[in-house]
Order: sequence, then structure tokens, then C-alpha cells
Amino acid sequence: MSADIGQPARIRSPLLAVHPSTWRTIFAMAAGLGVTALLILSVGADPLTAYRTIALGAFGSLERVTYGLNRATPYILCGIGVSLCFRAKVINIGGEGQIAIGGLCATWVALTWPIANPAIAIGSAALGGIAGGMIWASLAGGIHLGRGVNEVLVTLLMNFIAVLLVAEALHSWIGEIGAGFPQSPMLTANYRLPKLIAGTDLHIGILFALVAAILANIVLWCTSLGFAWRIFGESRMAARYAGFSRGRLTIGVMALAGGLAGLAGAIEVMGIHYRLIEGFSKGFGFNAIAVALLAALKPWAVIPAGLFFGFLETGTQAMQRQIGVPSSLVIVIQGVTMLLVLAAMGGLRPKGGS
Amino acid sequence: MDSAVLDFLAATIRIATPLMLAAMGGIISERAGVFAVGLEGMMLAGAFGAAAGTFLTGSTAIGIASSIGCGALVGLTVAVVAVRFRADQMVTGLAANALVAGLTSFLLRGVIGHGRTPVIHTALLDPWPVPGLSAIPVIGSLLFQQPPLTYLAFTATVPLYWFLVNSHAGLLLRAAGENPAAAYSVGANPAKIRTVATIAGAAITGLGGAVLVLQQVGTFSDGMTGGRGFLALAAIIVGRWMPFGTMAACLVFGAAEAMHLWVQVLGLPVSSYIVQMLPYLLALAVLAAWGRSVVMPAAIGVAYGDPDRS
Repeated sequence: MSADIGQPARIRSPLLAVHPSTWRTIFAMAAGLGVTALLILSVGADPLTAYRTIALGAFGSLERVTYGLNRATPYILCGIGVSLCFRAKVINIGGEGQIAIGGLCATWVALTWPIANPAIAIGSAALGGIAGGMIWASLAGGIHLGRGVNEVLVTLLMNFIAVLLVAEALHSWIGEIGAGFPQSPMLTANYRLPKLIAGTDLHIGILFALVAAILANIVLWCTSLGFAWRIFGESRMAARYAGFSRGRLTIGVMALAGGLAGLAGAIEVMGIHYRLIEGFSKGFGFNAIAVALLAALKPWAVIPAGLFFGFLETGTQAMQRQIGVPSSLVIVIQGVTMLLVLAAMGGLRPKGGS
Repeated sequence: MDSAVLDFLAATIRIATPLMLAAMGGIISERAGVFAVGLEGMMLAGAFGAAAGTFLTGSTAIGIASSIGCGALVGLTVAVVAVRFRADQMVTGLAANALVAGLTSFLLRGVIGHGRTPVIHTALLDPWPVPGLSAIPVIGSLLFQQPPLTYLAFTATVPLYWFLVNSHAGLLLRAAGENPAAAYSVGANPAKIRTVATIAGAAITGLGGAVLVLQQVGTFSDGMTGGRGFLALAAIIVGRWMPFGTMAACLVFGAAEAMHLWVQVLGLPVSSYIVQMLPYLLALAVLAAWGRSVVMPAAIGVAYGDPDRS
């Protein structure tokens, strides 16, 4: 069956001369839409109406489009990190925790230093977020390497710890006194991301995401570091023969992913909420994995994949408001797409792969 | 014995019970060579099955059966993707978790609640006091006046141990996880063993979800497993993929979570969020302390391709 999909040597027909991974992705998305249609039918709504409300909710007006772009920003940033990690076969699931810690550090910088110049202010808070995410991810990498604990488990457990750390901070030293909600005080105006289009909600975060994706693509394909990561992911043995340091490569790729996730957390704080709120990172880490897989682990392809899920989310939220079909549909679509992409990719791997 | 101590021990057992069932299911899957990262989703599916089954039919027996079925369905999904299509097992498990999180939330609102979040209340299972033993002071009320699934969770360790260590089927199952080619050479089909083990393990893990709904909370809410599947995963490693060790690890994690009772009783100035971190911190610390000496099933995570095909 789909074990045959994506074996370039077998594709002869010029009609099918598109890169196999593109077919795979198209197939996965089509099957995702098919499953979705069944689910929409199961709640007694009309799939075509539902899809139209999703499309209108995502692209119906400039406001909706800007909302979707903002939504996609953290997914793209975090998805780039995940795709690089997965390329190196370092299964870093810690996106959510790294976003949370990044947001916390950025907020701390913003609330501690009243910097007047907006560029320096935003830059330093963003650096704070990046540093926080990097440290959190490196800590996970250190436990994984130093103590031989599986990186999936370390990053998963650290997600829970990070989210609880943020909650603890919001209920104590960084929380707004007298607010009924677990939230930090508002950031001052110079710490808020400028708008890309005046009069809309679209902030400049999406530019960071685009630049990061392009840079990551260059690093992965045009530098010796990217080469080392790819070799490391293909075969640990080959990487060792080539003299690459396992520790440096693992920590490096995790720290890079952590930094990107931390930046995403900082951007959420400075661009969307203008404060730290409890649970702001919920689900982002897993979305990022779905994005990276849909992008077939190509950093540039994370841009369209992230946009797809960003717009899908704003669209399904509109669908829930208008025709009452629950917006958790989007998580189902993500899960189905991930499983299908995985199944299709799995058949490609050499037998008994590492 | 001090009533605070009794409360603490009772809470430890209560919290450890769903972890136990999830971990026993996970042992079966991992011993056969399939990482059980999907435990969280299997458990959540089981919780949903228990709540929906009981709510829609009014029968807890059907609720329990449906939790087993829902867990097994997730297991089937994981098995198809990770065993049949030889996808990365870790990421497959995570994808299954996401799918279940979305699907249960969607079905809860869409199908049961007709567009709103429904209020589901299920009857809780009554305790089954063991005649004679339950009359023993202290221990009786602690250990022998439990609801049925608690007995099942703790006693299941014995047949599971026997199955893994002494039975021929258990030997083949472990062979599929240690050296599938060797299992194949004696006429077994490792891919089939892995598929069956993943589904069977998922069914047991689903029961862990039923414990949450039918013995503890009495309702279903989105993501109500809240990381218990991942703690069970850690418990399996700490327990070296053996039932009794894993049971001990589950009890230790349960005790860590039950610490909040001590904090209340003693009035310690520790924030509740720090206390909530304890099980995760402890799991991380224990894994880090013992990490180097852990010997996993040798072929876990390695996709097995039938040597006669492809």
C-alpha cells in the first residue's frame, strides 16, 4: 500500500513526477479532510457548510487573516526547531515547556528593566526568552546525555515542571497583585511588538518566523553543522566514524530548538497578550510536532505547514461560534495528519533502522 | 495509627491505581518492542469510553467494557502505524495522544452534548470489602475495602509476572522485544506479536482511564489524564519492565502526589504548584539516578521488517 508511496525509483509516469513527499503530504491532508467530514457529519452538520465557515473564518477579512498569521507564528518558530531535532533523530518533545519558560523569562526582563528605546527593550526581552528556552532545553539535553535517560521522557516530564513553574511564578513573585486571574502586570508600551499593518493585530513576529525558517534551511543544507546533524540522524555509527561529537550535536540542536521555542514564548507575551498569563503555552509544543511532520521535516516547508494549522485553527474557532461544531476538530485533524505522514514516512526507512 | 498517615496511605493507593493499570499495559507493549508513549492517549480514551458508556447506558459494566474497547482501538491505531508501517514509535505514540485528546473533546461536545459541553455524572463503583480481611484494624480499611478495579490493578501483577517469566507465550513476547529475528527463527511472527501486545496492553491501559472516571472523579473532562500516562511510562523504566518493580514505582509516584495532604496537615509554607511538581521531579530524579544502569528491551523502538518480504 502506502509503503510504495515515495520511493522515487518506482515512479515512472511523468504525471507523478512531483517529489514523492509532496504527494505524501497532499494525501495526508486529503485523508485528514475526509476524516473531518465524517466527524462533522456525526454531529449532524453539513461538511461543506462547515468547510465554508472554516475558510471564511480563516480568510474572510483582513482581520481574520492577520489573526491566523499571528496564530501561525509560534507554530512556525517551534516547528523549525522540531524539524531540525527530528532530522538529527533527537526526539525533543519539550516545545511547550520551552515556550513557557521563554515567556516567563521575557516577561521577567520586561518587568525588571524599564528600557525606553523600544528596539532595545524588545530585543532584550526576546533575548531573555531565547536564553530561557535554550537553558531549559539544554538542561533536558544534559540529563539525557549525562544520565542516559530517554530524551522523550525527559522533555515530557520537564514540560509539566515548566508549566507548573510558570503557574507558581504567576501566583507569587511575577503575578499582578489584586488581579482575579493568574497573570502578570501589563507590559509597558515599549515592550510591545510593533504592528506590521497599522490598525490590525498583526505584529512583526511573523517576520522573525520567516527569517528563522530561511536561516534554518541554510544551516541544515549549506553548513557543515547541518551536514553533521543530518549524518547524526541517519546513522549514529557513521557520525561517530566521522568524528562528530554526540554530545555537542545533541545539545546544540536541542538548544537551538529551545531558543526558537523561547522566542515564540516571548513573542506570544509581547505581541498577543502583553502580559504573561497562565496556560498561554498550552498545546503549542504538540502543534509544533504536527507542523514539522506535515512539513516532512523541511525547515522551509514549516512555513506553509505552520500557516495551514494557524489558519485552520482560526477557521475552526469561527466554525464553532457559527454552526456549533466543536473547534477541537483541529486537534483531530492534526492527530490524523501526523499518523498518516508517519505511516507514509515509516515505509521509507531502511529495514531495522536505528 | 495517626489518621493523617492513614489518609496519606489511602491517597497513595488511590493515585497509584490508575498509574498501575496504565503501567501494566505499557509493560506488555514495551516488552514486545513497542514504546508505550501512547499510554496517555490510551488512558484518556479509556476514561472517555467509561464515562460515555456509563452515561449513555446507565451501566458501569458497559462503561468498563467500553473503556477496554476504546483503549484497544487506540492500541490498534498505534500498532498499524508503528508496527505495520514501521513508523517512529515515539512520535506515533505522541500523535495518537493528540488524536485522542482532540477526538474525545470533539465527541464529548459534538455527539454527547449536541454542541455544548455536557455535564456527565457517572455513579462511582462501590467498594467491595473482602470478607474477613476487611475487619482487620487499620490494614483492613486501607487494603481490603477498595473498589473492584483497585484489586484488579494490584493483583494483576502476579499473573503478568508469571506470563512474562514462565509462560511460552511470554517468552515469545519478550523475544519480539529483545531479538525479533530470533523469535522469527523459531516460527513466531514478531510483527503479529507486537501488534497483539500493543492492542492488549492498550486495553489494560484503558481500564486505568476507567478507574479515574468510575472510581475517582465520576465525570469526564478534556485531558483529564493530565500526564498520568507519562508518569506510568517513567514507572515502567524505574521498575525495569517487571510488574513488581513497576508497582513499587507507581506507589512511590502516588506517594509523591499525595504529599499535598502532608503539606496541608502540617501547614507547611510550600506553594501547591511546587507540591504538584513533586511526582514529575521525582520521576526525573529517579530516572536520572538510575538511568545509566537501565537495560531496555534490546529491540525496543526498532521497527521489525518481515525478512521474507521487502
